Amino acid sequence: MKREFFESEIGESCVKAVHPSGLKIYILEKPQYNSAYAVFGTKYGSIDTCFSANGEKLTVPEGIAHFLEHKLFESEEQDAFTRFAATGAYANAFTSFDRTCYLFSCADEFYENLDILLDFVQSPYFTEKTVEKEQGIIGQEIRMYDDSPSWRVMFNMLMAMYHNHPVRIDIAGTVDSIAKIDYKLLYKCYNTFYNPANMFICIAGNVDTEKVLAIIEAAVKTDEPVEITRYSEDEPAEVVKPYVEQRFAVAQPMFCFGIKESFPTPERSIKEKVCTSMLIELLVGDASPLYERLVNEGLINDEFSTEYFNGYGYSAIVFEGESSDPKRVAEEIKAEISRLKEDGVDKKLFSAVRRGMYGAAIKQFNSVENIAMQMIDCAVTGCELFDELKYLKALTAEDVYRRLLQLDPENSTLSVINPLEVL
Amino acid sequence: MSNKVTDLATGVEGLFIKNTRFNTTCISCNFYLPLKKETAAEYALLPFILTSCGSRYPDFSRLNFELERLYGASLNASAEKYGDYQLLKMSVTVINDRFTLDGEALIKQAADLICGLIFEPKVQDGAFYESDLAREKRKAIEHIKGEYSEKRIYAKNRLIEEMYKGEPYGVAKCGKVEDVEKITGKSLYDAWNRMLETAFIRVNVVGAEVPAGLFEDLTERFARVSRHDITNCKSSAPTKPSAAPRTVTETTAVNQGKLVMGFSSDLYGNDANTLPLLVMCDIFGGGPYSRLFTNVREKMSLCYYCSASSLRQKGLLTVESGVETDNAEKALTEILNQLEIIKKGEFSDFEYDSSLKSLADTFNAYNDSQDSIESWYALKVNNDEIYSPEEIAERIKKVAREDVINAAKGVKLHTVYKLLPENKKDEGKEG
Repeated sequence: MKREFFESEIGESCVKAVHPSGLKIYILEKPQYNSAYAVFGTKYGSIDTCFSANGEKLTVPEGIAHFLEHKLFESEEQDAFTRFAATGAYANAFTSFDRTCYLFSCADEFYENLDILLDFVQSPYFTEKTVEKEQGIIGQEIRMYDDSPSWRVMFNMLMAMYHNHPVRIDIAGTVDSIAKIDYKLLYKCYNTFYNPANMFICIAGNVDTEKVLAIIEAAVKTDEPVEITRYSEDEPAEVVKPYVEQRFAVAQPMFCFGIKESFPTPERSIKEKVCTSMLIELLVGDASPLYERLVNEGLINDEFSTEYFNGYGYSAIVFEGESSDPKRVAEEIKAEISRLKEDGVDKKLFSAVRRGMYGAAIKQFNSVENIAMQMIDCAVTGCELFDELKYLKALTAEDVYRRLLQLDPENSTLSVINPLEVL
Repeated sequence: MSNKVTDLATGVEGLFIKNTRFNTTCISCNFYLPLKKETAAEYALLPFILTSCGSRYPDFSRLNFELERLYGASLNASAEKYGDYQLLKMSVTVINDRFTLDGEALIKQAADLICGLIFEPKVQDGAFYESDLAREKRKAIEHIKGEYSEKRIYAKNRLIEEMYKGEPYGVAKCGKVEDVEKITGKSLYDAWNRMLETAFIRVNVVGAEVPAGLFEDLTERFARVSRHDITNCKSSAPTKPSAAPRTVTETTAVNQGKLVMGFSSDLYGNDANTLPLLVMCDIFGGGPYSRLFTNVREKMSLCYYCSASSLRQKGLLTVESGVETDNAEKALTEILNQLEIIKKGEFSDFEYDSSLKSLADTFNAYNDSQDSIESWYALKVNNDEIYSPEEIAERIKKVAREDVINAAKGVKLHTVYKLLPENKKDEGKEG
């Protein structure tokens, strides 16, 4: 297998290998640790509803990637959970907008667990009967999310922000859309996206790289690569509507405010992501003047959080929290963006925040889970593991200011969850 | 190899948990006080107000600026329950000195910072400032009210409240809104003094070494505090079995209901006594091999989630599940049926072995997380001997089937709490 070694200034190093099938493998050894964390994933998520595989164009029901994730745990004999139970490992899976990942973590019997992971992800077993049963279970899951105000506040925002991009639809789909899924469609999607060339394995912890690579080499099927093309309808630059509201059994209003952005290219580089994260910190991070003002004026509390929300074909800067007056929070953020465009960024704050982000990035390497999650990002978006540290060091206040000038805070959506009645 | 505590003052322990695998050092100051309705709200406010500003950092943007300068040191505050006691936690985690660009002594600065915040609050004339107090009170009230928004948490809290009415453990960990409203700058200042004077205190350090001078500094600072009537946090009362199980049903505007059940166990107290309860609870409703997951959720599709957890300090076992209204009674009956199966010893070897392996594996991985390790030792102040997670992993493997059956026999239904959907009327509409 072709290999590359990456070393960082903080004493961590990682191996990236590419299997002849095109499967990407990332391994970071932590010999001092007791445990390890392993992920087998595919670049396939809820937004991949319209694509072509080797020239055949397909549109599939919303929620099918998540549905497939649920079904892959089953097999004709023992399901994967039962097999992991025999080793004591913790096993799980998740589907997001652009990826589906199967994972385990364990302190003992790592290589046995790796065998199980490699085997079950490569052994689909879908039948008419099992698909029908799952429709009931996932239907309940969708209803559970319908009861979660923190989930709804975000998807209400995405629906009001995006006209066509599938990021606007719930990852699990809808009760109606999953009713259209059958086992043949599942096999179609599986055979397209669970091709090794579209997949990755990420492992961090107390493992031996050579042994891991030997096991993977022996277990991975060398299918012919499938040529995947993703389609999406054109997404207008503007939001659908600036405001959306829903009432819920909550004690106080919740909000999600997002500034929509559009770029000529579908994906953002790691450099752009680091720069945008820094911009958000300077705008409304813990040490910023706006954050202090919002807290002191009673407008936000510790639930406040921010995110640079981006993926294939979508990009938004998102502010979330609880507030007695969400509209004012959104106005204050917009006003602060204008002020910063006028006054420029505070150099002293920039230096302190850059140190803070550097320390936070180092801290990430404490956790084998966090390392594995970063490796997944690398596999899906094409960056390398220590890029964040590298770009943080090189980042200047001028870079951030230029990024700030790109923002159009008027092209934004405020989503609010209001209490059913004033309590 | 158990870790040894250092006595820093009367009822003040320092515990160094040496662990060289992390890039960071964590210093955590834990204060244990009796959980009481009258004091819960003001005690719970202390960790938050003390870590939001201080005499050296009069506003929190200045404090946060300092934390950024210390390479993103993170300052955390919480108020939790520890059996019948309230645990107030203030901690700082900072990257190790070797990662700094100019060899700065970061850990020492972080240690000084947290000691300064705890011992030198921003006060005037024996009272906290009105502006700081108002800010923290508002946040606390919003936090308490916010628990209603996440119905899973809300339902569990309501069960505990109903199950332990009039008892310390029934008191909410951050108190009630009306108690927060009553707090004044002066009353909070008095609470701060009582915390320093009467709490049992444990300072945990997880990292490669103890920050230079930290334990000495604490000894010196506590020498100036009159320590008296120190909380003895070794004696949480066990859960009393209920003569007849009680059911509380409430409704609210949701699609799915919550069914939460509280059980008393005759096993409670330290680790050694309660391991059979831990294993029994895991076979009952722990991992995906458990009775509740495989039967109630997978085979019978009665709930979207259904899991059990136990609390050794109180001898408490709880089951939480998400149910459709039509299935609530069936689910309840089946959950009790699964408990009976364990009592009769009719669980499989596979379930038993899987549980022992899963629990041992989890404990063996504890040392890989700085936060898990810190809280492990913070929750070990009532044990005569402090076991490491690896020692508990070894002991788990020795829990016999008979121990599990006996543990199950001592588990009795106490209280059922149901949160069910209201009859459909005014559904929320999108605007």
